[in-house]
Amino acid sequence: TPNAWEVSPALRKMLGRIVFFLCLPSVLAAQLCKPNAAEGFKVRLSIKTALGDKAYEWNRNQRFLFQAAIAFAMSHHLDLEFNVSNILVCDETPRVSFWFVVTSPDDPSRLVGKESVELAVRASRGRINNILLLNDATLEFVGVLPTLAAPVKPATPSWLIVFGVVIGIVGAGIVFLLVSTVVQKKRKENEVAEEEDDDEEAQMKRTAGNEGIYNTSFSESDRNTQM
Amino acid sequence: MKFPLNAGMAKDARDNWESPTQFVLACVSYAVGLGNVWRFPYLCQMHGGGGFLIPYLLMLLLEGVPLFYLELAIGQKMRLGSIGAWTAISPYLGGIGLASVVTSMYLCLYYNIINAWSFWYLFHSFQSVLPWAACPVNSNRTGPMEECEKASPTQYFFYRETLNISPSIEKNGGIQTGQALCFLLAWVITYLFIIRGVKSTGKVVYFTATFPYVVLLIYLIRGMTLHGALNGVKYMFTPKMEELANPTTWINAATQIFFSLGLGFGSLIAFASYNQYHNNFERQAIIVSLINSGTSIFASIVTFAIYGFKATINYENCLDRTRILLLNSFNLAEDSITINNVFEMIEKLNTTFPEQFAELSNKLEDCSLENELSTAVEGTGLAFIVYSEAIKNMPLSQLWSVLYFFMLLMLGMGSMLGNITAITTPLRDFKFLSHVSNEALNGFVCVLCLLLGLGFTTRSGNYWFTMFNDYGATFSLLLIVLFEVISVSYIYGIKRFEKDIEDMLGHRPNWFWKIMWGGISPLLLIGLFLFYVINYIQGGTPTYQAWNKDLGKSEQTEYPVFGQAFIGLLLVSSVSCIPLTALYIFCQRRKHAQRHKQQHTVNTVAA
Repeated sequence: TPNAWEVSPALRKMLGRIVFFLCLPSVLAAQLCKPNAAEGFKVRLSIKTALGDKAYEWNRNQRFLFQAAIAFAMSHHLDLEFNVSNILVCDETPRVSFWFVVTSPDDPSRLVGKESVELAVRASRGRINNILLLNDATLEFVGVLPTLAAPVKPATPSWLIVFGVVIGIVGAGIVFLLVSTVVQKKRKENEVAEEEDDDEEAQMKRTAGNEGIYNTSFSESDRNTQM
Repeated sequence: MKFPLNAGMAKDARDNWESPTQFVLACVSYAVGLGNVWRFPYLCQMHGGGGFLIPYLLMLLLEGVPLFYLELAIGQKMRLGSIGAWTAISPYLGGIGLASVVTSMYLCLYYNIINAWSFWYLFHSFQSVLPWAACPVNSNRTGPMEECEKASPTQYFFYRETLNISPSIEKNGGIQTGQALCFLLAWVITYLFIIRGVKSTGKVVYFTATFPYVVLLIYLIRGMTLHGALNGVKYMFTPKMEELANPTTWINAATQIFFSLGLGFGSLIAFASYNQYHNNFERQAIIVSLINSGTSIFASIVTFAIYGFKATINYENCLDRTRILLLNSFNLAEDSITINNVFEMIEKLNTTFPEQFAELSNKLEDCSLENELSTAVEGTGLAFIVYSEAIKNMPLSQLWSVLYFFMLLMLGMGSMLGNITAITTPLRDFKFLSHVSNEALNGFVCVLCLLLGLGFTTRSGNYWFTMFNDYGATFSLLLIVLFEVISVSYIYGIKRFEKDIEDMLGHRPNWFWKIMWGGISPLLLIGLFLFYVINYIQGGTPTYQAWNKDLGKSEQTEYPVFGQAFIGLLLVSSVSCIPLTALYIFCQRRKHAQRHKQQHTVNTVAA
């Protein structure tokens, strides 16, 4: 009887090819994704900093979620169908940092260019952050600059409004004080004139009461002597 | 006979404070100013913390209170502003009053810009996020502005968004609209406060003198409960007695007392001139001086609590940055390094991975709480940069910000009242201005100061401000007060002065005061004056701190020629009033005497 391990050359060749093709993806993956890969990005997560007590453990499932998020970002940006298997992750560390590369959906041995990946990530950064419950600071794509939200500029700066109110009140106060000074002055002038008249009358009454006649020729009411 | 109401007599009756309390509060409001908050804590820190109190209190006794007493006595006796009062003491000495007015004029020009800045910060506190809390985003929205990153958000807000400062004093730049608007507001409010002279000022000082204390108390309580505040207070109060051997400590104590009380500007004479003749100013002088020094000490406790908080926060941030650097470089798990074991981990990593660690050495910062605490800042840097940095880290920062800048405004406005009264009172005393109403005269002075002061709102305005602050009123004041003390003690005569005081108060001044006026205070002032002159000559070309936007920090730069000429002008213009006026009066008198002689001879001839 022939040896169980004695296989015909044809079968051997086929087995070899099958093994080769089975190992190819992981070999390729190992070759495609490595630290400092040309088309790869380093990602750093600071889960405990972001979530404190509610921090989740980084495991296979969380990694799957990350890959799905990146696949989403790539599909959204390039309008192609990317699968989770197109996102290759390697070199994981206890820090929770790793490298990833993106392979093309048409040809798994070809990598998508770094610029496209960067643009895709930047475009959907907010979404990716939210999926992982992190933010720009705690989910770092090393080398990718964050797109910060545009500053909200109201039509009138708020300080100008407060300034307007204060200067309006102060201006009104000044005007009020000036006007009241003028009014007071006018009132005083009238009072003085009245007092002088009163004095005249009082004197006339007094002299009249003493059975005399008040000689008006010496009164001061008429400064100019009439010709 | 009937006497008509003489309107002229009513005008000659001088305005008075409605009560002695108003006078005391006005003096407190004037003396307690920004210097108590931003200069004294700095001096305390530089000169050995608690130990600085010894020279400070000694100088208060030898120099501060006697000179304060002297100025109040002159004002209350002569019942005239500084020019009139000194002319009454001796016609040749009218120049002292004139020098005071010129110095006050310089002070008025540049002091209100600080109030403008306080307004700017106050108005910007009404936002959901304080604008100096974070750096603004740059034009392509990839990160913070470069200048802001190199400096810090608070510095960026002050130098770029508030001042829009130019790189040097030569580059003028235009007037900044925001600044100019706030400056206008500051002058409008000043006018409102002095519109009717002491009648309005007297009411305002109830608020400007008391409100700062309320805020300081609130801040003291808040400050003490802040994380790390005790570090600062401990640092401040640990006395370093060896500093007492340094002569600079004593000189700084003397100058601080001197400037803090606001002597020599004529404001105290002006305020006292509105007193009732028999007002007990002796007691008030002691009270106000003690309140002023007490406030300085109180404010420095608050400042050091804030310092401690800020230093601790910065130190912890530094540790955190180091921790993240280590985590990222060595790819360790997040919770393996905490703030508490950063230093141990540094050692461990250094021994385990020496080569990798060596690569890091230039990125590794030196975190030290001592260093953070010892960075002493004074002046506008303390008030607008350091304090705002501390405030942005407090919870409910908008509330604390509003309170703080409102307090700065009260302190600054209170001092402005004294400064401007020092100008308007002597002007009021001139006969040719007596028909001009109070409102019009005060308005004219305010408008004039506003227009001249607009130069401080330009892009190089802060540099001009520093120049005026350093040279406009320091040197000339020493000379003015020296002349004041010598004039009263030796030209007017201590005996005559004694009699005047007895007339007003009912008792003669103690032998203590006489010794101070006659001997100790003049000697101290001469010493200070000599020190200033020597320092100025030895210091070489005067320099200022110019803001370098590429490096994000200030650099020492020399003043250009026109700057140095202007400094010279500032120093000479006020001081020269004294000899020039004396000379002028002397010439006038000689002319008058000659004319008199001629008339006499004519008469005898005619007869």
